[in-house]
Amino acid sequence: MQTELELIKQAQQGDRWAFGELVRHHREGTINVVYRMCGDVALAEEAAQEAFIRAWTHLPSYKPRSPFRNWVYRIATNVALDTLRSQKETVDVESVDIEDSGQRPDELTETRERGERVRRAVLDLPPASRAVVVLREYEDLSYKEIADTLGIPIGTVMSRLNYARTLLRQTLTPYMEGI
Amino acid sequence: MNNHATQWLGAYLDGELHGLRLRWVESHLKECAVCRSELEALVGLRELLRESPAVEVITQPERFAAQVGLRLPRRQEQPPAQKAFELGWRLVPAGLLCALVFVQAVFTIASVVQVALSLGLGGDLGALLFSTPTGGPSLLDLSKLSQASLADAVGMLWGLVQSGGALALLPALYLCLLAVIGLLYWSWLATWWARRRHQHLTAADNEF
Repeated sequence: MQTELELIKQAQQGDRWAFGELVRHHREGTINVVYRMCGDVALAEEAAQEAFIRAWTHLPSYKPRSPFRNWVYRIATNVALDTLRSQKETVDVESVDIEDSGQRPDELTETRERGERVRRAVLDLPPASRAVVVLREYEDLSYKEIADTLGIPIGTVMSRLNYARTLLRQTLTPYMEGI
Repeated sequence: MNNHATQWLGAYLDGELHGLRLRWVESHLKECAVCRSELEALVGLRELLRESPAVEVITQPERFAAQVGLRLPRRQEQPPAQKAFELGWRLVPAGLLCALVFVQAVFTIASVVQVALSLGLGGDLGALLFSTPTGGPSLLDLSKLSQASLADAVGMLWGLVQSGGALALLPALYLCLLAVIGLLYWSWLATWWARRRHQHLTAADNEF
């Protein structure tokens, strides 16, 4: 079994099979990052594919000083932000919500409703803070990794996280009491 | 300014505090009920955030990878001529270093020969090589170059060249070669820096 570094080197030399292995390995995390950023599964898959295509194009310039995963997440985050910007007129974050299923709220389980409220609260965050929250809370990246991934100082990571958590607490306080 | 640890609690929860700051927050938490309550709220928020389900990916991994594979553009291969140029370009400093070593070696040997000849070890050959028909400065005067001012040094070299001794052009040639090698090296360095800067700017423009 080849290591990730070997696969990266092969892919850098144009080996599409090796790149396919990398795609398979990082697909789920990448889709999740984009999904948490834009809140739409189909859009997330499409944006994740776009992120991998950009990764392939820029792969020759990738240097394995930082993990490949972080590098792909960086691309995916940028693709998600681009997607949000370009789709702003057509995809309203507020519209990507739970009640569209036609079910009445009392038909939903409490846990599911809470999950959807949380998702919406995250989507309501400013994109820059949202990216930091997604990478920290859902992908478990360290501050240093987030800083590398987003190309921002660690101090900015900390302040964006504090800001995002303050906003989330304001929005989600009623649901936090239920935990 | 308050004395609470509020701004550090998020980093504390994330395990990102170390050393004195960590110890300060830990000891502060033992004493401060407000900060403990804040920390509990952050813990609650984290649990709530992580309750939110991950995406249920529709496309199977193989299918997803295949879809990406179909959309991958063909990489632009460097043409062989450009590859050769790049290789040659990278070898320029090594070539210049070799040239410098060669020039130094040649002129060191030449200096040794000069000294030997000036000591009469070469018989008539020394007299022939060091003769200065017009009475200008001799090659041996060059040993004084290092103590001379710039104007005097130039004057001496020019006088030597004009006098037409057999080895008259040797030091001038030596200095010229050093200047050329130095100039080439600095030019290469400047071009390398400019290319690198251009590549960075291009990469930044194309940044994802």
